[in-house]
This record gives sequence, structure tokens and C-alpha cells, in this order.
Amino acid sequence: MKEDIINTKNEALAQIMTVKSLGELEELRIAYVGRSGKLSRLIKKIVDLPLEKRKETGFLINEVKNTISKILAEQKNSLQNSIREWFDPTIPGLKPIRGHLHLVTYAIQEISSVFEKIGFVRVRYPEVEWDWFAFESLNMSQGHPARDEWETFFVDTPTHPKYGQMVLTPHTSSGQVREMMRVKIPPIRMINIAKSYRRQSDVSHIPMFHQFEGLVVDKNISIVHLKGTLDYFARNFFGPKRKTRLRPSHFQFTEPSFEVDISCGVCGGVGCKLCKAGWVELGGAGMVHPVVLKNGGMDPKKYTGFAFGWGVERTFMMKSGLDIPDIRLLYSSDLRFLTQS
Amino acid sequence: MDLLIPNGWLKEFLETSASVKQIAECLSLCGPSVERVTQTEGDSVYSIEVTTNRVDSASVYGIAREASSILPRFGIKATLLPIEVSFDQKSVGSVGYFNTKVDPLLCTRFSAILLKDFKIKSSPSWMIERLKQVGERVINNIVDISNYVMYELGQPVHTFDYDKILGAKIILRESKKGEKIITLDGKKHTLPGGDIVIEDGSGKLIDLCGIMGGLNSAVDGNTKNVLLFVQTYNPINIRKTSMFLAHRTEAAVLFEKTLDPELVTLGIKRGIDLFVKLTEGKPEKEILDIYPLPYKPKKLSMKLEFIRKVLGIEIPKQDINKMLTPLGFETSWKRNTLEVTVPSWRANDIEISEDIIEEVVRIYGYHNLPSTLMEGKIPDIIINSSFGFESKLKNILKGYGGTEVYTPSLVPKNWIRQNALKLKNPLGSDSEYLRTSLMPSLVFAAKENSSEKDSFHLFEISNVYLPKKGNLPDEKITLAGIFANTDFRKTKGIVESLLEELNVIYSVDQEDSMFYSASKRIVFKSSS
Repeated sequence: MKEDIINTKNEALAQIMTVKSLGELEELRIAYVGRSGKLSRLIKKIVDLPLEKRKETGFLINEVKNTISKILAEQKNSLQNSIREWFDPTIPGLKPIRGHLHLVTYAIQEISSVFEKIGFVRVRYPEVEWDWFAFESLNMSQGHPARDEWETFFVDTPTHPKYGQMVLTPHTSSGQVREMMRVKIPPIRMINIAKSYRRQSDVSHIPMFHQFEGLVVDKNISIVHLKGTLDYFARNFFGPKRKTRLRPSHFQFTEPSFEVDISCGVCGGVGCKLCKAGWVELGGAGMVHPVVLKNGGMDPKKYTGFAFGWGVERTFMMKSGLDIPDIRLLYSSDLRFLTQS
Repeated sequence: MDLLIPNGWLKEFLETSASVKQIAECLSLCGPSVERVTQTEGDSVYSIEVTTNRVDSASVYGIAREASSILPRFGIKATLLPIEVSFDQKSVGSVGYFNTKVDPLLCTRFSAILLKDFKIKSSPSWMIERLKQVGERVINNIVDISNYVMYELGQPVHTFDYDKILGAKIILRESKKGEKIITLDGKKHTLPGGDIVIEDGSGKLIDLCGIMGGLNSAVDGNTKNVLLFVQTYNPINIRKTSMFLAHRTEAAVLFEKTLDPELVTLGIKRGIDLFVKLTEGKPEKEILDIYPLPYKPKKLSMKLEFIRKVLGIEIPKQDINKMLTPLGFETSWKRNTLEVTVPSWRANDIEISEDIIEEVVRIYGYHNLPSTLMEGKIPDIIINSSFGFESKLKNILKGYGGTEVYTPSLVPKNWIRQNALKLKNPLGSDSEYLRTSLMPSLVFAAKENSSEKDSFHLFEISNVYLPKKGNLPDEKITLAGIFANTDFRKTKGIVESLLEELNVIYSVDQEDSMFYSASKRIVFKSSS
């Protein structure tokens, strides 16, 4: 009997180890440890043994059954592994080609969205403009020295009898009078973002750039509101802790005129190497000159207003801390640069 | 206008306990902007930017006046000290030593005096230091005095060799086209006409007025007698000449901004004082002074309510007085109406009540005003604005792997295939025309990346400028794209996807055209 048990065990182990498929393995399981398998049959024979041998034999059969079951399980695992398809989930993904929007597009989106939240309407006015809108209506007559600051491109076309020469607009301020003419009856809250052109080209100047111009005209608009608007922009565009400051300046089309500073983002306004005693220059602003209001068909006794006009590229670079060594790079089409945004 | 103002020189006219740092900070907040302070020749020198409308403060004395008005607002005592002059010659309309004919439309005030027997030598060290501090070349006492007075007062001064002016006679007139003059710096000029010039008794031009003197009448080592000239000119003529000849001298930059004719008196007397002191020259008893239309004080009036409206806050009447008086304005109130008498040196930049308000509020300090968003109605949005659509297009194309470019709208002639606008003054031949198509720009952009071996796709949304007769061009906002190293079907698929995303119903036709290989071009036509 004992010999039979040992032989069954050896026979089973030998067969299990050489099995090739899960099906065969299942057959072997049934044949040895199944309900009517070989071991079950051996158990039934225990009653035929003398009493003193029954216990010992019972133990032996149990031990063999355990061993066979264990080997069956191991072999099942190993068989399952060997039939699994090879798969590596850590392989890098195949990405779709990533597109890129231009920095200037991002800048325009961010700037206009800040102003749109406080009721400004985005507009766009001619980039090729009459002298009258670009200068004359803004209180800068022909030959005025203030015009020197705008290096203007002139278009080779006949002069308009009323509006003068055709120019590439050197600033978005040309849209001020146009917006007044469009709206006719205030309120006006305009944000005009467009290309502007100046006859200049070096590492910090480009002949084509973008400006954004804010214009507010209504009853009882004062400097306090200009400050409120600029502070709102500073907090929501540059960050919650930033604030603005006005200093005296001069532009023909605003009275009073201001230079706008913003508290330095690097030192927090304490003063550092990158700023002037805690402040960085942002751009010009002012209360709309009564002559400009009149030219736009507004009654300066009834309405007052303010305006500001700054470079999109410069403002965005100040926000992002981007230091583009040559501003002309912005308008090149080098993918190595464009795909960084 | 950028100025250099030495602290020591400034303090000659400004009595104050303020430190250099305080002066710089307070001026920047309420007046001319101090860009930086540097150490030159043993003194602190302020670099100051004066706005073009404020030629009255473009001098040491002008800055002292500003500082004396601004510092007290910061609780720092400051007093403007007058410029003392010791000689007091009589001003007369004609003099025995000099015969003149002056066109009053060109020269609003003409003054001159003869100084005899002076000694040319080098200037004293204090003057040399100060001139060096303001960046001026030091020559000799005669030239240095002229420059010194100009920096101190903002009034250009010129000297002639009296004996070189033939017949001791001059005519100040408008030039004729083509007249020639050689200026002090040796430059030959052919005049455009309409320039202010002086000819002497022999008919030769001796001065290109307001810009630079003539070489033929210049003071040199042999000069015995000097004519000291102090004038104010018609700014329009000065500017025209200076721009036309591209001769931008310090004098021209001042004169073209309309100088105060009242300042001429101080200018010539200060000049005489320095000449006597530093050259031992002997002045004549009388100053020639031709001033047909003397300055009449300008007055402006405005309601207190109007001031409050522009500022957005109340400022008490007596505070308004306190801010305006140190600047030279005289104020008086009739109930709530303010009447202001404008000082002669501000007659040109103060034109309307808003200008007075600006003076009040800048001295009050813009930084002291509150900051509040406006209330009131919000304007309606523009319904058919294309901004949202443009942004949608850009985002779709970005999603398809496109890279957005911004290419210059000024292009060379060979990129133009149709009628296009041309610039009168382009920066170069590569940017002479306003583009009518984005295609050449994008082809160029793609070529800029010719080293790129992978597939790429560039796109741009921008205006093209289509000329219209007698009117501004049609600025047509256009989308264009270019694909490189990309299969035709993929490219076409992107265009199709874009159109489908936009719900455009389209048909596709094969049509040949310039710039495309034969039978390799298709046109998408909207059929809706």
C-alpha cells in the first residue's frame, strides 16, 4: 500500500512536470486528486488495512495529495505565463503633433479678457490710417514737434482733401476718435488692440508691433477712475499684489498726462537692481484732451474721459519675465522659438 | 529733452535741506522725471527728462523752480533764490554802435550789446567743472560763458566778432532758397528758403539764427570786441530749418519749443555780468532791445466744481493757491471761480483750464489720489465682431498640430503680384509694400525652417491690404496656412476637418493657378 502511494506520487509529479497545456493539466488533476481520482481510490482502500496502519497511511496519502496539488498550481501558473502575449505598458505614448499659438495671441487674449470683465468692448480700427485720425484729431497739427516721437511710415498715395496723408498708424490712439464717432452717445469703454507701425528697427524696436488702447468716456469720469482701472488691470494681469502709480508726463492728446509705473514684481516694491526704487515703467496714460473729445463729436463740458495705450509685446514680457534678447525674434518664423510657447 | 543738472549748481538757486535722494524722488513723483543720479567731477548730477511742452524747466533755474514748488508738499522746506545781476544797462530800441533791421515775425525779441577789450583765456575751475558735469565741451571763457548761461537759464546766447560784421550793420530776414552759409562747425549748408538768417553790411550771411552762427563772424584768438546776442525766434521757422538740414543743435531744440521773450532780459544781463567778471570786457551803456510786442499776461478762469470733476476729489481753495503760487501763477477767487494769471514762462504750455488743473493735481501728487473703478452704464458689445471666430480658428488649427506665426506685413516688391500700397519712406527695399496676400510670407516662413526634417504646419491670421481708389485700403482679415514635409492627403484632411468643424458645406474643384504645379491644386468652395 505504502509503495503504491509513493509510486502514484512519483508518477503524478513526472506527468505534471511534462504537461504542455492547461487542458492536459486539468485532466491530470482529475486523474490524481479528483473526486474519483487515484488518491481517492487509495483512501477507500484504507479500511482494508490493519487498524494500526490506517492512521499512518492516511497521513501519507494526505501529504501526497497536498504535494500534488501544490505542484499542479505551480505548473498552472507557469503554463499561464508562458502563453501570455508579451506586453510592455511602460512604453512611451505616441502623441499627436502639438500645435502652438503665438505669444502675441496669448498676450492679446489675456489683456482683452481682463478688460472685458469690467465692461470694455474690444474693437479694431484701421492699421492704414489717415493723418487726421493718427495725429491731427489728437491735437498734433502738421509740423508739431511732438510728432517726432512717432517715426511714421507714409503711404505713397494722393493726399486726402480733408484727412491729409495716408500713414501706417503709429499707435492705437488713432482709434480714439473713431470709437467716439462709432458710439456717438457715451458710455465708451473701448479696448482697441491692433498692429502699429513705426520706422524703427533694432534689438528693442520693431517696425511692426502691437498696441492696446483703453478709452473711457462718460459723464463724471475722473483721474480716480483711471487709477481704479489701471490698478484692476495690474492685479488681474500681473498678480494680486501689484499696484500702479501715476507720475506727470506730457502727451498732446491728454491733459493731464501720466507715466504709469507698476510696483516691481521681483522685489515687491522695495527696490532692486531691475527696477527704479520699487517701480517699473509701464507706459503712458492721461485724461482725454477736450480738443480730442470735440473732434470725436463729444461735448467736453458734458463728458470727460481717460485713455492709455501700451505695447502688447512689452507688457506681456514684463508679466512673464521673458527676456527676449532681440525683440525681432518674435516676428521670425523659427520653429525652435515658436514651439516654446 | 534730457538734462544733466549738477546738485551744487541747483543749490545755488534752491535753498533746501532736502537730500539728493529726496530731491530725485519728489521731482519724479510730481514734476520732471529724474532717471538717475551719477557722480561727476565731485558732485551728484541728476539725469532729468523734461517733457517737450516744458521748455521753461529745461535749465538749472527751471528745475530749481520746480523743486521749490514740489518739495514743500513732502514737508521739506525749499525756497527759490533769485538770480542776482549787478549790471543794469538801459534797454533802448536803437544804439549808436550797431545798426539793425529785424523782421518781428521771425524774431519776437532781439537784444544785443557790445563788449570791448576783453581777454580770452580759460574759464575758472568752478565753471569748467559745471560745464563738464552737464557734458559740455570746455573751450575758452567766451564760448564757455555762452554755454553756461544757456544751461543755467535755458536761454541760448551767441557771440560774434564785432569787427567781422561789416559796417556794424545787420539785417535779420528770411532766407531765399539756395543761399549758402558755413556754420561754426565748418559744415556747409544750402538753405531751403524760409530760414531765419542775418546778413551784414556787405550782404554776406553771418548767422543761421537759432541753430548755429556763421564761421565768418566767429570769435577767434584775434577777436578784440564781442557782440553778445540774446534772442527769441519764431519756433516754426527754427524747427523747419533744423529738421531740413538735420542740424539739431541744443539752441535749436530750445528755440523750436517757443522760449519766453521775457527771459531775454535776464539772459543778456547774466551774460554781461559773467563777461565783466571773467573776461574783463567793458560793456556799452545801452542794450539794444527790439521787442515790438511785449508779453501781456494771460489769464484763465475756471469753476471749483470743474476742478473737482476732473480730479474726482475736493481740494480746498487755499490749497489750490498754495500749489500754484510757487510755480509763478497768481491766483484770485471770486466766490467759487478761480482766476489764474499765467507767468510768462508758462504762456506757451498753459492754454486751457485743464492745464491749470494738471498743475494743481501733479503738485498735490497723483499718488495721493484714491483709486476706484467707474460706475455707470456698461456699453453694449458689438454683435458681429470676428474676434471670437478668429480665436476659434486658431485653437482648432493648434489642435491639428499647427504652429501660429506672425509675419511682417511690409514686404518686398517681388512678393507683390497685384496692385499694392507702397511706402514713401520704407526702412529698406525688403519692406517697401503692404502685402495683399499672406502666401509669400508663409512660403518664406516655411523656408526659414528648411532644416526641419519632420512634418510641420504653419498658419497665420492677419490683415492683407487691398488698395481702394481715393480711400483707405480694404483691410481684409485672412487665414493662411502652409504644410511642409507633409503628405497631400493629410493636408487636405486638415482643411476638410476645419471646414466640417465650422459646419461649412463645401465642394472641391480642381483648378490650376499660378504658383502651383499643374493639376496639383484644389479649391474648396462654400456651397452654403
